[in-house]
Amino acid sequence: MRVLIVEDEAKMAGLIRKGLRQEGMAADIAPKGEEALWMAGSTEYDAIVLDLMLPGIDGFEVCRRLRDDGVYSPILMLTARDGVPDRVAGLDAGADDYLVKPFSYAELLARLRALARRTNGERSPELRVGDLRLDPARHQVWRGDREIELSAKEFAVLEVFMRRPGEVLSRFQLLEHAWDYEYENRSNIVDSYVRLLRRKIDRPFGTKSIQTVRGAGYRLREDGGRA
Amino acid sequence: MSRIPIRLRVTLAFALASAVVLAALGWFVYARFDSELSEQIDQSLRTHGDDIASLVASGDLARNTSLLGREESFAQVLTPDGRIYASTPQLGSDPQITPAEAARASQSSFIVTRDTVRSISGQARLLARPADGPDGRLVVVAAASLDDRNDSLANLGTILLIGIPVALLLASMAGYVVSGRALRPVDVMRRRAAEISAAEPEARLPLPEADDEIRRLGETLNRMLGRLEAAIERERAFVDDASHELRTPLAMHKTELELALRYAKTPEEMRAAISSAIVEVDRLSQLAEDLLVLARSAEGKLALDLRRVGVAGLLGDLHERFSARIAATGRSLVVEPANGLTVEADRLRLEQALGNLVENALEHGGGEITLRASEGGGQVAIHVEDQGAGFAPEFIDRAFERFSRGDPSRGGDGTGLGLAIVDAIAQAHRGSAHAANRESAGADVWIALPER
Repeated sequence: MRVLIVEDEAKMAGLIRKGLRQEGMAADIAPKGEEALWMAGSTEYDAIVLDLMLPGIDGFEVCRRLRDDGVYSPILMLTARDGVPDRVAGLDAGADDYLVKPFSYAELLARLRALARRTNGERSPELRVGDLRLDPARHQVWRGDREIELSAKEFAVLEVFMRRPGEVLSRFQLLEHAWDYEYENRSNIVDSYVRLLRRKIDRPFGTKSIQTVRGAGYRLREDGGRA
Repeated sequence: MSRIPIRLRVTLAFALASAVVLAALGWFVYARFDSELSEQIDQSLRTHGDDIASLVASGDLARNTSLLGREESFAQVLTPDGRIYASTPQLGSDPQITPAEAARASQSSFIVTRDTVRSISGQARLLARPADGPDGRLVVVAAASLDDRNDSLANLGTILLIGIPVALLLASMAGYVVSGRALRPVDVMRRRAAEISAAEPEARLPLPEADDEIRRLGETLNRMLGRLEAAIERERAFVDDASHELRTPLAMHKTELELALRYAKTPEEMRAAISSAIVEVDRLSQLAEDLLVLARSAEGKLALDLRRVGVAGLLGDLHERFSARIAATGRSLVVEPANGLTVEADRLRLEQALGNLVENALEHGGGEITLRASEGGGQVAIHVEDQGAGFAPEFIDRAFERFSRGDPSRGGDGTGLGLAIVDAIAQAHRGSAHAANRESAGADVWIALPER
């Protein structure tokens, strides 16, 4: 899951990114509305955390222009203003959710997960593909009854797969949703993480859930690999 | 009197005035009626007297005493020494006046009121006059009853005694009603005023349509409500801004601590998070401190310990406080000589204000920072100048407003209150704060204080 943080206060933005990365999410920072517009336009973010008070074009305007540009990533507005008119204006400008500063970090994470769930049409907080289960909130993965230990990045890649079971995902798509701009060496990082994942979720169980689609990318089988 | 409600007071005054007017009117009508009636009776007595006198003159009287009587009047003819010469039967054979009166009446006529006259019930009016006949000078006495007149007067008196109080009562009631109506706009305003609270500061009192004292009072009160509304609005905006400004550092503080609690694994990570959190707390403390100064000064309660302060010494202290920090950034702080200028000021507050200015020059300005004092127009101005980019032209007018920041990205650790505090401190000293861009380059911010 990849998140764009639009926040002019550098320290705040850094803190949010730090926390998201700890959760295995990929996060980029846009300190200004203008930058947020091109970043969100060029990358398919799973969520955008948008501060209302921005220099230049403000959060409402960013929201409106993103929607006008056909960017439909879910937007979580973050603001120090809690008046009802502000909240109404934010939601009407196209935001999906609203969080007032000072917020609880746990709540920010929960709302981001809820937003991701909503965009993918999921209802259950747990993702299930065959007998594979992934709980984004608790960071746990099971195959059947057995829990599987994954690193944060492995977890993030598996989450991308599990949100789109059966779909062929290109290396670029996987990169886009699981890594942020700060990863420079991207040549074969996707392949190596897929290898790591197979070693943990398939090999011990004798399953083949992640398939290589030649020339296109990878696919997580909808039956979870247990034929 | 002043403790009686105004409506009752107006009514009482009105009733009193009405009572005086009605009583005077009653008395006048009564007196006028009385004299009118008396005059009529006297007139008819005189006519009767004239008739009899002509009877006496013609000598017919001796033959026809019945001519003396006429309707309700009665008459006698006496000799000047008071004996009966002729009389209507009703008056009988006793003379109705004494011989002395008869003697007087033989000279000139007179009219008197008698309480008793024979055959006349009640009071009577009596005319006595001389009349010359064939038998020489005689005295004619005619009498008429005052009964009718007295009855009429008594009736009139009764009517007035009942009518005047009734009229007075009706007038007073009308007065009470009218004064109530006149005062109704006041009551409407009062009721509205009782409902107005800080929750609806835009509310105003209803005004009567007539351009009178009550409307003017209402307009004055409404203008007062307007001033209060503006004050409440300023207060509200300040609280709003303040809470908004507190939220950002609080959010950071909270996030910092939550992240540490969630993810920090080593003591070093924990320590780094705590140090960073302490920076946030410092910033919050500074903000709280600044807000307090502003709130106090807005209430005019900024306590000042006013003393004579030498400007040279003050600038020297500032130089000492900042020079090391400024030098560390590769810049310099220059103090120009202040030539024995003094101001009356709270030294700590003035130093705080100037310190904020130096801090700003250090944070947002560039090049050499100059502290310079000058006098003119009964004021001492203390300037803090730098050689940086100066103020953005659109910011200069708002520079001293609370929470306004020249740098729109809100960079730095500033609270946006530094210059607002400078302004507040200057005003508490009955001075003023100003900002401008220097002609060469950089900003010039100064505090002007009354010279001492």
